[in-house]
This record gives sequence, C-alpha cells and structure tokens, in this order.
Amino acid sequence: MSFDQRQEGEFTVIEIVEARLDASIAESFKTFAFNLIDNDQHHLVVNLSQVRFMDSSGLGALVAAFKKLAGNGSFSLAAAQPAVRDLFDLTSMDKLFTVHDSVAEAVKGN
Amino acid sequence: MLATLSLEIDSKLSNTTLMAMAVRGVCAMTTLSPVETNRLELCLVEIVNNAIEHAYENQAGNSVHVQLELDDAVIRLIVSDYGKSIPQDSLQKDAESELNPEQSDTWLCSGRGLHIVNKLMDAVSYQRIGEKNSFIMEKRLR
Repeated sequence: MSFDQRQEGEFTVIEIVEARLDASIAESFKTFAFNLIDNDQHHLVVNLSQVRFMDSSGLGALVAAFKKLAGNGSFSLAAAQPAVRDLFDLTSMDKLFTVHDSVAEAVKGN
Repeated sequence: MLATLSLEIDSKLSNTTLMAMAVRGVCAMTTLSPVETNRLELCLVEIVNNAIEHAYENQAGNSVHVQLELDDAVIRLIVSDYGKSIPQDSLQKDAESELNPEQSDTWLCSGRGLHIVNKLMDAVSYQRIGEKNSFIMEKRLR
C-alpha cells in the first residue's frame, strides 16, 4: 500500500509510504485523498517525509486534492525533502501550499 | 571525450524509475551539484512520462529510448519514442500562466512538465525523423 492514514485530533494525516510521488502513483494518491474528503475528512496533512522525488504529476495530484476541498477545510504538507521543496519553488506552489517542517507542527493548527 | 549510454524501457510509468536511477548514477560522475542532479532527474522523468502518456497514450508494449551523451562540457539526454508527436503549440516556450492563490482556475493540475524542462535545461529541441520523435535536452557542466 502506497498510502496510509491516521488521525491526529481533527487532522487526518496522509502518510505517503513511497520514495517517489510520481506519475505511476499520482492517480492512486488522488483517489485516496478524494475518498477521505468524500468521507468528511476535511483537515488533511500530507506527510512527505519519505518522498525523495516528486514529478509534475505528483504535484498535480496534490493540487487536485487541495482544489477538491474548495476552501472547506484545510490542506497542508509536512516534512518535504529538498528536491520536493525545490519543485514547489520552481512551480510557485509555495504560494499555494503551506509546507510545515514536521507533521507535529502541522497538526498544532493554524 | 564523448561517452554514450543507451537505455531502453517498455512504455510503463513504473519503469521510469529505472531510467532515473541510471542517469543519476552518471550524474554522480560529473561536476553537477546535488540540486542540479535532482533537477536533471526531474526533467528526464517529465519527458519519459510524456512519451508514455501522450506519444503512446499509456499503452504498454512500446519502446522508450534514452541516449545519454557526456563530455567535459555538457550532458545531453535524447528521449525517443515512435508514437504520436508532441503538438507544435505545446512546444512553444510561452511563460507559464502565473499562479494566483486567490483564483482556483490558476491552480493547474497538469501541463507543467514542459515548462519545468524549458526552465531548467540550458538547451531544448524536438525533432521527428521518419517515425521517430526525439526530445533533446542539454545541461552544461561547470
């Protein structure tokens, strides 16, 4: 299983148990996140600590989940590694996403 | 001296990692920094994904070929397929539409790959010779 979930108070933490969030699993991630949102999990934190590499398809899946929430809840990312942070910077996604240093920081709330 | 490495995978997205790891291995022999190596890996993956998803419309059983050429001054990656060509308008190096956090219609879920490659590589070109499409990208070595 590439993804897992756990509850931290009101936050649902999505664990990506893969070193690569790329085109080969982007659709699965989207389905996983959409199912959570459809099941009324509206405060999502995506733990990226294991993700060494992300391509534009992986990024697109994160954007799709963020859009699906449509402002009805919260969506943040945690523990992004350097290559992933660089991708956010290159694509200006750092303007859209809140990226916390750790899951612990993300679930403290805004 | 020019060194050439030739790699071939079947057109499945799960095979892209093999290409990426092989090219990272070569990058480790060069003067590319870790950040530059990550970026080269990203560009390679974007173009190989593009061949699988668009040229071959996600149909396995087709060949994606990568030729890596390395000399003292440049690393060149040539990604080739025998499927549908990239439309000319997709190849235009237009500036990417700016993301506005206040406007959700600017939060694009796809179509960023070529913009990323154009931004990160020093030279990019595309050609079709016979049935073969080739995307050529170069990164200068310091």
